Amino acid sequence: MTRTAAPYRLPHAAGLGRLIDRDRPLGFTFDGQRLSGYAGDTLASALLANGRRLVGRSFKYHRPRGIVGLGTEEMNALVGVGLGADHEPNLQATRVELRDGLVAVSQNRWPSLSFDIGQINDVFSRFIPGGFYYKTFKWPKSFWHHLYEPLIRRAAGLGRAPSGRDSSAYEQIRVDCDVLVVGGGPSGLAAAQAAAASGARVMLAEDQPSLGGVADLYDASDEFRAPPDVMVLTRTTALAHFHHNYLLLAERCLGEGPRQRLWKVRAKEVIVATGAIERPIAFANNDRPGVMMAEAARGYLARFAVAPGERGVVFTNNDEAYRTALLVRRTGAGEVTVVDIRKHPEGALVEEARRAGIPILAGTVVSQVESTAAGQAIEAVRIAAFRPGMSRLLRESRLPCDYVAVSGGYNPAVHLWCHNGGKLRYDMAIHAYRPDRHRDRMWAVGAANGTFDLEAALAESRFAGEQAAARALARSMASDMVAPQLKPRRQGAIEPIWFAPASRHYNDGHKHFVDFQNDVTVADLELAQREGYSSVEHTKRYTTWGMASDQGKTSSVLGLGILSEATGRPIPEIGVTTFRPPFTPLTFGTVAGAQKGPLFLAVRQTPVHDWHVANGATFEPVGHWRRAYCYPSGGEDKAAAIAREILSVRRAVGLLDASTLGKIEIRGRDAGTFLDRIYTNSFSTLKVGRCRYGLMLNELGFIIDDGVTARLADDHFLMHTTSGGADRIAAWLEEWLQTEWPDLQVLITPVTEQWAQFAVAGPKARTVLEALAATGESDVDVTAGSFPFMSWRAGRLGGFRVRIFRISFSGELSFEIATPARDGLRLWEALMTAGAPLGITAYGTEALHVLRAEKGYIVVGDETDGTVTPRDVGLDGLVSKTKRDFIGRRSLEQSFLRAEGRKELVGLLTEDPREVLPDGAHAVREVKANGPMATIGHVTSSYMSPTLERSIAMALIENGRSRMGETLTFPLEGGRLVKATIVSPVFYDPQGERQNV
Amino acid sequence: MSEIVIEESTDRGMIDLKGDPAEPGFLDAVKAVLELDLPLVPRSSLSSGDTTVLWLSTDQWLIVLPYAGSEQVTERLQAAVAPFHALAVDLSDARSIFRIRGIGAREVVMKGASVDLTHTDCIAGTVRRFNFADLATMVHVVSDRPETLDLYVFRSVGNYVRQFLDTAARPDARLVLWGRQ
Repeated sequence: MTRTAAPYRLPHAAGLGRLIDRDRPLGFTFDGQRLSGYAGDTLASALLANGRRLVGRSFKYHRPRGIVGLGTEEMNALVGVGLGADHEPNLQATRVELRDGLVAVSQNRWPSLSFDIGQINDVFSRFIPGGFYYKTFKWPKSFWHHLYEPLIRRAAGLGRAPSGRDSSAYEQIRVDCDVLVVGGGPSGLAAAQAAAASGARVMLAEDQPSLGGVADLYDASDEFRAPPDVMVLTRTTALAHFHHNYLLLAERCLGEGPRQRLWKVRAKEVIVATGAIERPIAFANNDRPGVMMAEAARGYLARFAVAPGERGVVFTNNDEAYRTALLVRRTGAGEVTVVDIRKHPEGALVEEARRAGIPILAGTVVSQVESTAAGQAIEAVRIAAFRPGMSRLLRESRLPCDYVAVSGGYNPAVHLWCHNGGKLRYDMAIHAYRPDRHRDRMWAVGAANGTFDLEAALAESRFAGEQAAARALARSMASDMVAPQLKPRRQGAIEPIWFAPASRHYNDGHKHFVDFQNDVTVADLELAQREGYSSVEHTKRYTTWGMASDQGKTSSVLGLGILSEATGRPIPEIGVTTFRPPFTPLTFGTVAGAQKGPLFLAVRQTPVHDWHVANGATFEPVGHWRRAYCYPSGGEDKAAAIAREILSVRRAVGLLDASTLGKIEIRGRDAGTFLDRIYTNSFSTLKVGRCRYGLMLNELGFIIDDGVTARLADDHFLMHTTSGGADRIAAWLEEWLQTEWPDLQVLITPVTEQWAQFAVAGPKARTVLEALAATGESDVDVTAGSFPFMSWRAGRLGGFRVRIFRISFSGELSFEIATPARDGLRLWEALMTAGAPLGITAYGTEALHVLRAEKGYIVVGDETDGTVTPRDVGLDGLVSKTKRDFIGRRSLEQSFLRAEGRKELVGLLTEDPREVLPDGAHAVREVKANGPMATIGHVTSSYMSPTLERSIAMALIENGRSRMGETLTFPLEGGRLVKATIVSPVFYDPQGERQNV
Repeated sequence: MSEIVIEESTDRGMIDLKGDPAEPGFLDAVKAVLELDLPLVPRSSLSSGDTTVLWLSTDQWLIVLPYAGSEQVTERLQAAVAPFHALAVDLSDARSIFRIRGIGAREVVMKGASVDLTHTDCIAGTVRRFNFADLATMVHVVSDRPETLDLYVFRSVGNYVRQFLDTAARPDARLVLWGRQ
């Protein structure tokens, strides 16, 4: 076989090349070689037309591999398509539509496809039996991580990841339908048409670009149109079936729009019309390039006018493969001989072949493939007389050929049926598994149901379409609907064959492949049985048979046949392995859909966000919010900006965007009672117009949230929560109201998004408000006498509709002003303007944190971690001793929550005032040079305080409050030790005089 | 086929009303203020003049009205429902409303939605609350012809949703399912 410029593409002839347009030649490259094809070609057909037999290397042995199939069943010809960031690996060449300029590369070879270093694995393959990895790489233990795994990872794997971010667009869409038909062959179309005619909303998904399935290859019509009123999606693969008929379909889109679209479908009824997959026969070297499925050989010839070779052998156990020989003969595409394992083949197709003068060798097997030295092209097959049950051949003869078209029968494509628990039964008539029961409303029709006769399949499909539609529409079925009677087939019976015996020891360079994609041979499966892997699922995992992206499309039943022969158990007793989604591989882009890049996450922005951006703010995430962290200006760094912001608050006035703070309105006759139960302290006693800080626990007695609640009216409160806790706390309140205390008359409505809210904090805060009040309509008196600390007012201020809360998280005189969100930016700017003469400074969340730490205020999530009680953080005074009950009260009585030795909140001052302890640094009981040290607590907050001109920290330390003045040691990374003295956590203004002015 | 047009509506106010329709007098008290019945059929809405009430759940409604009057109507509503176990809150600023017009407006929303909006019962007036791009959202089918939907999202994610909708509505990604015209 030396010919290189063979005329594989046959000249224009009637009935050949039906899918290609010879007037539209296309150029493409494969591994850098410039090749040409026609519009309508697949990459596979174009490669074959160019005489490219070798298209890849196998996974484990790096054996040369060629194109075997025609569509989704292809397991060898996995290629990478596209360049750079647009590269897509592991595509089946049989499903890649040729386009001008397409760049494709082969995979799993080095340095080149025709000369591959890894094929040495094939030479040494007797040392790489099934389970090789499990047996070999077990010891010594440390070798796995440092030697074995890196080596295996380099040697294994198929395609390469793209080199950068995929620039393509992807999208997803969610649709419902009454009936989803999967498969656009004659059965699927008939079912869809019948269902639509019954008035159902019908979708049909077809993997290929055109409808009709493989009907054209079985002498049926090749003209199919979409049925009216059916949503037909071509180039769309049903990837997966989940509970309650939820399916994922991946559409490969054409044009400038999205590259792929994921359809998320909920169907009342699903009709599986996925056809059948022709299965190989295991014979020696059955994986050589040039060995292909009989249906595929016929398909390349009929659809693309590509001859599989010049001299062919059709190796079969059934009548259908005779169609391939007949087509070759009819079109003059070279010589062909049929090798049929059956002693007495009979049937219409066999007779036709005889009449056409095609040589038929009955009762014969192909026992061996002879190929060129590198195994890249076939020169001949060896054949021998065969009777079922024989295990070794003695006499072989040679039959020259350059391709072998194989058919070992058909497996209904039951993958989708099985994804979510569909049952199968083994059918001795077709020697394959076919659908049995399904808990979902799922039907299988046509070849997917093991019904291979076209007329019977159509009748069955129409029936299923009508039935499915009627059930989906909850209609009673018309009386003329009856299950079709199956006609006897006019074909000869199939004779099962799983394994063609060889004349030599069959695993020494003469492998009988079962699973091509995973390089699993008959010998591997048999070895697994000898080693005791009697469960079929264990055999699968031990040998990797039926795994990976192929999921046993061609290998499943074949392997079961081998196991049956190896164990003497009938196939139905062996069981069947699980077919898992996805049916064909899908890209990560399809999974992500539109939600990538700027759409990856919905970031929440406050009404003042654009101002923050315009004023140079850096941001930090708080929940899904992005909050201004600090506002560096004039070339200062973040630390300088933070210090400047803090000092402005302490000395003049600052402005903070606190819009993210959670806000929940609570109203009802029992609102006070409700809050008394939710918080540790009392709210029913709060007077209208006043505010109170509250601490919220979970049932375990641990702090989950805190914040200030204002009483708007007798039966009306406004609760503030932490920014990150807003949604969680609203859900928490609803849950208690709805499931535990439905007797309470309380309603809640989250109002976080309604309000923009800003803290005006600092000694000059009141002056700013007064200045703003002077600019427009105002009815809020902000003077100290009429607006005391911890009270609130509503009204107009400078023309703005506001609620003002005189509360402080900085320890300074402070007002939090809320206004409807759309006015937020205007109010912010008005405050900046009013405060400009006073030196008002916008401050961010870091300054906020330092300010509160200077005052020893806790932050839920910093000082608490879900295991901290009020007593631990020194807030026992906020836990009511008189209330009948509140959430967490019972837990606080538990002895271990009151015991000695709990970690308590303290302040820390480092020996070196410039040293800022890292957050989370641990204090240890005793410093040791090596080995673990016992921790007695950790730093919860740590900052450089510009106010105090030194570092400060807060920490949870064992018995901390009784250790005042003690010096602790914190070992840091690199062996450095930092010493710090325990002090009160209130570092600044312990009397609270500054906020009370 | 005309383009899909997406515009943010900024002139509308919203009042969130919670209450028990079975509580005697409640519905009448609300009607006295709104001059409009509360829709009690799930996923429906009722309109009169420039006021529309959207059904949110069995005990919750969103009253959509001109922004200018929302503060006053809220106050009157609060007073009217004060005797009842009810809560009326002015949330005129809490949400962004995107009006999506054109054939295929439904499909634009379905590209981010957890529901199918092309059902035959998804007619003008229908209200659906669902997950859109992992966000809590709601659609109000304003009219069938011309196809017009209002998508309600929280204000803080308005910019994100706008960008998502613009991406989904790109002309080269246009989808119109089930032969709608």
